[in-house]
Amino acid sequence: MKLHTKMMQRLTSLWTSGITRASLGLAILCGMAPEALAGGKRWGPVPFASDFGYRFEDLFWLITWLCVGSFSIVVIMILIPSVRDRYKPGRKAHFDHGASLKDKRLATVISAATFLVLDAWVLVIAMTDLREAWWNIPESEEAGVYEVEVLAQQWAWNFRHKGADGKFGTADDILQMNELTVPNGRSVSFQGTSKDVIHSLFIPAMRFKKDFNPGDINSVWFKPITAGNYTILCAELCGYAHYQMFGELHVLESDTFDNWAADASELGVAAYDSEDTEARWAWDWKE
Amino acid sequence: MSGDHIHAEPTNFFRKHVFSVDHKVIAKQFLWFGLVWLGIGGIMAMLIRWQLANPGDPVPVIGSFLFPRTGGVIDPATYNTLFTMHGTIMIFLGLTPLIIGCVGNWAIPLMIGARDMIFPLLNCLSFWTVFAGGCVGFYSLFVPLGATEAGWTGYPTLSTTVNGLGSGETLWAIAVFLIGASSIMGGINYMTTVIRLRAPGMTWGRLPLTVWGLFLTSALNVLFIPVIGSAMLLLIMDRVFGTTFFVPASIMQGGGGGDPILYQHLFWIFGHPEVYILILPAWGIIGDLLSFFARKPAFGYRAQVGAMTAVTVLSAVVYGHHMFTTGLSAMLGESFMLLTMIISVPAEILFFSWLHTIWRGNIRFTVPMLWSVGVIFVFGLGGLTGIYCATIGTDIFLHDTYFIVGHFHLTMAASALFAAFGAIVFFFPKMFGRMMSPLLGKLHFWLTIIPLVSVFCMMFVMGYAGMPRRYYDHTSMEFLASLQHMNKAATHMAFLLGSAQLIFVFNFIKSRWFGKPASTNPWEVGTLDWQTETPLPHYNFKDIPTVVTGPHEFSHPALPEGRDWISMTEELPSA
Amino acid sequence: MTSAAISLPKEGIKSRVNTTLGMVFFIGSWSMSFGTLFLAFAVLRQRSGVWPPVGIALPSLPMATLATAVLIASSVAFHRALQGIDAKDSNAVRADGLGLPWIIGLVTGVAFALLQGWLWMDLMAAGRNPSSGLYESLFYGLTWVHALHVGIGLLSLLWATIGLAAGRYGSHRFSTINNIVIFWHFVDVVWIVLYLAFFIF
Repeated sequence: MKLHTKMMQRLTSLWTSGITRASLGLAILCGMAPEALAGGKRWGPVPFASDFGYRFEDLFWLITWLCVGSFSIVVIMILIPSVRDRYKPGRKAHFDHGASLKDKRLATVISAATFLVLDAWVLVIAMTDLREAWWNIPESEEAGVYEVEVLAQQWAWNFRHKGADGKFGTADDILQMNELTVPNGRSVSFQGTSKDVIHSLFIPAMRFKKDFNPGDINSVWFKPITAGNYTILCAELCGYAHYQMFGELHVLESDTFDNWAADASELGVAAYDSEDTEARWAWDWKE
Repeated sequence: MSGDHIHAEPTNFFRKHVFSVDHKVIAKQFLWFGLVWLGIGGIMAMLIRWQLANPGDPVPVIGSFLFPRTGGVIDPATYNTLFTMHGTIMIFLGLTPLIIGCVGNWAIPLMIGARDMIFPLLNCLSFWTVFAGGCVGFYSLFVPLGATEAGWTGYPTLSTTVNGLGSGETLWAIAVFLIGASSIMGGINYMTTVIRLRAPGMTWGRLPLTVWGLFLTSALNVLFIPVIGSAMLLLIMDRVFGTTFFVPASIMQGGGGGDPILYQHLFWIFGHPEVYILILPAWGIIGDLLSFFARKPAFGYRAQVGAMTAVTVLSAVVYGHHMFTTGLSAMLGESFMLLTMIISVPAEILFFSWLHTIWRGNIRFTVPMLWSVGVIFVFGLGGLTGIYCATIGTDIFLHDTYFIVGHFHLTMAASALFAAFGAIVFFFPKMFGRMMSPLLGKLHFWLTIIPLVSVFCMMFVMGYAGMPRRYYDHTSMEFLASLQHMNKAATHMAFLLGSAQLIFVFNFIKSRWFGKPASTNPWEVGTLDWQTETPLPHYNFKDIPTVVTGPHEFSHPALPEGRDWISMTEELPSA
Repeated sequence: MTSAAISLPKEGIKSRVNTTLGMVFFIGSWSMSFGTLFLAFAVLRQRSGVWPPVGIALPSLPMATLATAVLIASSVAFHRALQGIDAKDSNAVRADGLGLPWIIGLVTGVAFALLQGWLWMDLMAAGRNPSSGLYESLFYGLTWVHALHVGIGLLSLLWATIGLAAGRYGSHRFSTINNIVIFWHFVDVVWIVLYLAFFIF
């Protein structure tokens, strides 16, 4: 019993020394080190490839620095009293209800600062971004808009291009599954719905996401600025094989794309089966 | 009927320990119930993390017992069930019973100087309803055609079609309904008790912040749980009776015409207040605890109460920020973004008050104090990352990625959990007459907060890198496979976090029966609950105390040398 | 204690306020619950082009109107009954507690339940069942939830009737019966909204 008490006391004093705690923390962090330090690993998103991608990055890092700043203040305000104002017998704490006029003024100033810096600043930029980018869905008449209809299903993405005749729902439509080919430098406008449950079209490299709901048509758009291949994901839980519902986006330079589209449209006509009603989903483009 | 009469203590075992109407026994029932479910939900979290780090590998040791059909491998359906039930259990059966059921039942009557809740029978019914809900939820794991797989949010049309004709999802909805009914009963009881049974002199301005937090939470419970109750009824009707509230025409043969997005509105009208239902008591608790252990008055008591009230009101009008990608109109989206942002102002007032409460105090770093400071830290991280989620420009990318998972675990889950741990350790001496081991408590605190913050901060990075949540396997495509190293790191930390909870279990059980006997007021605080005898007599107060002093008059200059606290029933000596 | 000769004091104001306040919160909660259903009704009705649907059998308007009148009568009767009970100081309940108004209230309450049942049977007989379409979903769904509360209300009223007959309730124990009747009024109000939503507007 005595030995036990003694050992407990030892342990307590060892534990209460800050060095032990710091080294323990370090040791725990080292648990992550093998993964963390290994080279050649991706730590951030793939570089953006849409014309509004930079807006996401700018806003993200603006908020990040605001958060780092605010959180640093919080941590400092925790650390200083934690070290300086630790319990000492006989000492009395500063008696203060924080109800003086000075405190109220300070609180008001900090509230105003929070609102203006954290909220209003971010809000204004976000509103501008939304109106100029994400919600600025191009009209059909605008030159160079490329339109695609999307039918999501468990667990695949179906894409429909207009084909050579410039109309949806005709024999020369190009149908793609889990693969989408679009021209570089043109605004790509989607209208989509779902056959069964809610899906969400997520193209991380293009920095956008939109739910496609059964019984309703949602619109979304982006404008690729770099040719290449990108991943398409489903971001809304859609059942058993949700994690398998991915596809690939090919952004082609416009002349390559035109050749591809012409060939694909011809192939579409050849493969058209008027009996196959399943494959004839389409709707008139909603303005 | 009400708790201001002294009744004889029941002698029958069932009346005393099982179907008791005594708030103290019910608080302990909620405590054990919540802890058991916290354990079950925690094991589910560990299984989820195992699968994410080692996709498709059999779970070691317990795998062949839990999943004999697949030889210990978690299949995608099971994985979906696991994260759905993890969320449902942690929110409804783990944290709610602990921080509202246990702390509310324990603290409200004792802190306001009442002999019991105002409706003791309703209180008993509230516990046994949540118990029934827990049983239904647990049973639903074993029904044919599988348990729920639609996420804790249960969005139709996945939730109306999943499991086919099986009853898994239906039973899940029934469980949520029952648990909700229990919360409503508790909320009505708490509100009426606080309004009607305060001891003489216990004005609203002298109410401990814990009681304020619980009172506001109860208001939210009473108003918004019914919304999900009705949504669950409609969902059950859709599944069982073939109605089409949430099933749109396009996938129905003849008829239909429902709206799946309607469910999302209903769910989040409840769902966002639910976040504050869990966090408001936590704010209240730490508002008190910080003051108690910094030996200083709670800084800006009125401002804290005002801020909590403001958040309570605002919580009802910000729910749309969960639905930015569903096709919400631009006008609605921008309004919800603005309203959500406004919440940062009362939140800032709270931080301002907490940090000033400990500033220039005489801080006793007891275990409850560590947890309270821990809440400031994790809620700071979680709250600030809320800005990304409230801002549509960033949320469009981050929605439904691990960023969101990290965010809500830090705000709602970790903050409420930390406050619950703090409250349990704090109230333990009065509850069980013994102290919990401070050494083990501190070890548990540090071994919880460090891995917890690591895991969820890692999730911020994953989310920013574009990793969607609720994926069974991130290695099946190149885009996500290159992020798998972060999954592994997070899993290691999560296992450390999980195993650290065993320290708490050991400490709790050991201290319950073998802990150091506690004095009547071991923390030296002035609130009414600590002015009673230990162990508590059956009806708490022989004479209802008269309150003459506020709850936080620590280190008052007029107090005699060597004493830095004063009971709420004592007059302050005139300086 | 049940002897009519013994006079008991009226239930104190404190106890009455306590329980009534609890009931007010309950009613608030239930209002949110039904408010949710009516919100769903409004949204779905807005979405469907033609309302009410044409060319199919609809629930009978005259019978629904009759049911509404019966339920309002029930509420009024209970209100009068409570006034009568509360006016008495003594415990002469065995004779007077179960007065005529209370009996009328109970009978009309049961009559409403029967009429509700008839409305469903009638619609089912016309081949319209809950899975027939959106209108049916809403009609059956909302009336089911309401009927559940009618059932709870009737059972509670039955309990109160037995209690009144036995002298357990009266002006000396008023809160319980008062709360049950408040709940019944609430059920009544919800039905009126349902009636207006489905049959009038």
